Amino acid sequence: MEAGGGCGLTRRQLLRMIGASAGAAAMYQAMSGLGLAAESSFRGPPSLQGAPRGASVLVLGAGLAGMVAAYELRRAGYEVQLLEYNGRAGGRNWSLRGGDRYAELGGAAQHCRFAAGQYFNPGPWRLPYHHHGILHYCRVLGVRLEAFVQTNYNAYLHNTEAYGGKPQRFRAVKADYQGHVAELLAKAAQGGALDGRLTREDQERLLESLRRWGALDRNYAYAAGRASSERRGYARDPGGGASARPAFSQPLRLEDLLGSRLWENLAEGDAYEMQTPLFQPVGGMGAIGEAFARELGPLIRYHAKVVEIRQDERGVTAWYEDARRPGGARRSARADWCVCTIPLSVLGQIPMNVGAAMAEAIAAVPYAAAVKIGLQFKRRFWEQDEQIYGGITYTDLPIGTIGYPSSGYHDGGKAVLLGAYAWGTDAMELTAMAPEERVRQAVAQGARIHPQYPREFDNGVAVAWHRAPFTLGCFALWSEEARAKHYDDLCAIDGRIVLAGEHASYLPAWQEGAVTSALDAIGRLHRRAAAGGAA
Amino acid sequence: MTRRIACGLLALALLGAAGAARADHAGAHRRRGGVQAATGEAVYRQICQGCHMPDGRGAVGAGRYPAFAGDPTLVSASYVAATVLLGRRDMPSFAERAEADGEAFFGRTTLTDAQVAAVVNYVRTHFGNHYPDAIGEAEVRALRQGSP
Repeated sequence: MEAGGGCGLTRRQLLRMIGASAGAAAMYQAMSGLGLAAESSFRGPPSLQGAPRGASVLVLGAGLAGMVAAYELRRAGYEVQLLEYNGRAGGRNWSLRGGDRYAELGGAAQHCRFAAGQYFNPGPWRLPYHHHGILHYCRVLGVRLEAFVQTNYNAYLHNTEAYGGKPQRFRAVKADYQGHVAELLAKAAQGGALDGRLTREDQERLLESLRRWGALDRNYAYAAGRASSERRGYARDPGGGASARPAFSQPLRLEDLLGSRLWENLAEGDAYEMQTPLFQPVGGMGAIGEAFARELGPLIRYHAKVVEIRQDERGVTAWYEDARRPGGARRSARADWCVCTIPLSVLGQIPMNVGAAMAEAIAAVPYAAAVKIGLQFKRRFWEQDEQIYGGITYTDLPIGTIGYPSSGYHDGGKAVLLGAYAWGTDAMELTAMAPEERVRQAVAQGARIHPQYPREFDNGVAVAWHRAPFTLGCFALWSEEARAKHYDDLCAIDGRIVLAGEHASYLPAWQEGAVTSALDAIGRLHRRAAAGGAA
Repeated sequence: MTRRIACGLLALALLGAAGAARADHAGAHRRRGGVQAATGEAVYRQICQGCHMPDGRGAVGAGRYPAFAGDPTLVSASYVAATVLLGRRDMPSFAERAEADGEAFFGRTTLTDAQVAAVVNYVRTHFGNHYPDAIGEAEVRALRQGSP
């Protein structure tokens, strides 16, 4: 086959075909596979030397971008202060635990009643091994990591309209899909369909590789037997002793598999950002923000709602109110420079004298909808009854995802799982419901996959990101057109103000985007400051 | 076996290698972005009140969602419809669009022209508003087709 010209398709045509057959999300992943999506730009912690004597920086927002900026700028010798809307640091880096109270926009308040040690991450929940920046700060701040199970072969793929709504084990779907495809391709090769594309020698190598890849038998068939059962599992597992003889299992038929659409989520774990190993902080993702907050201590002013930002030739002033007393007295904070990490959804509403280019960029980006729901159950039935230890079940139900905890295996007592990770229209519809109704929905839908749900359910918490008072949305939803037109303007320093955050990155929604954006922004700001404001 | 079948197989294999992922998102999602709601009120209850709140009064946090009561821009049905179609700042566009763009990777939500008209008319006759003029599906379509 000619390089890059398979079937005479252009790359664009190929992407369109994948997009049409597997949904847009697959297309995004295909773009990543073809090197069109970006990876982390982290190249080690910055060495900012020669901060001007007495120079100061005002950081707006104590999420990860703001705290990385503050941490490094302080190290470089700048005088730093942070303003944060919430009464806690971390922003979207956040874990809800028993005793926490969360009030969303509109006033509905939820009191988290999880058992001691249990938590749920409403925002990010996993750290890819190649997100070097966020992993660096975990190491520096002493945030302990453990493995996050992304792909669990014993979790489920579920489609309400396939196999009578019965969830299928990931293991079986993967083995059978791969096996059938391998068999088809082997037959194509044997029938001469690849003559002229591959030499005879390469075709023989291909056949040998397909047998291994697809678990084919000696006749290049994917059929019930030892080879396929070693992939998809046995009808009766081999064991020890007198009654230990294994029984082979029967593969799913290719036609049924294709019609089931369960292949849509087969390759989740092959995505660059989902490849094993992934990590999570012990005790919840929020441990990172909490560690930064300990490090920065009194530099952070909490409950500070920024209401206006003004720069002049000598510095930047931010006016703020006490977020707990809306419309109360205004106070101000001033510094030579400003790193503003406020989400664009909020920043677009704050008067700020920057040029038209940055202002237009700020106004050009809508925010994505997402809903996450943490459910506590009386016992770990997914482990005890179904042998699912960590990992993710994917479903076409609006909940989208069930994420099983990657820690505490075999613990007695109550445990929390991620009962929904909805986005798009499903997330909008869940957002429009009251929190308790969202939880009810998650329990009712999850019960179609795990019948134990109603009996074992204890309590739950639902976070709809468009109702989050501090973000008004989940993450910056850049379109390609908007990015082409506005991204550079968003990132460029405007006078004495530079923006940072996941919205100023090619890693939307990922914490690595916030970290690398902050490091890039302060590097440029430092060069300008060190050059006396001229660079 | 024909070249076409081999080509299909290649696509299948690539599909397996591609998979579905979205930033820090995980989950099956094959519903199109459409909304099942026939009336303006149903569209509002199902989607809009997520931000604009059930009582249409919006909300205030670090930023705010505007209230519909007393909002002078509601005087123009076309303006409201254009806002729904094109989006505004953090509010996404709900227009039906043929081509997939970057946003589509994360699931676009779309309303039909009839749904846009219905929900605009609903908002302009509720939450303390009593505008007598209604916008029709054809006007929404014209707006959408005339928009960039």
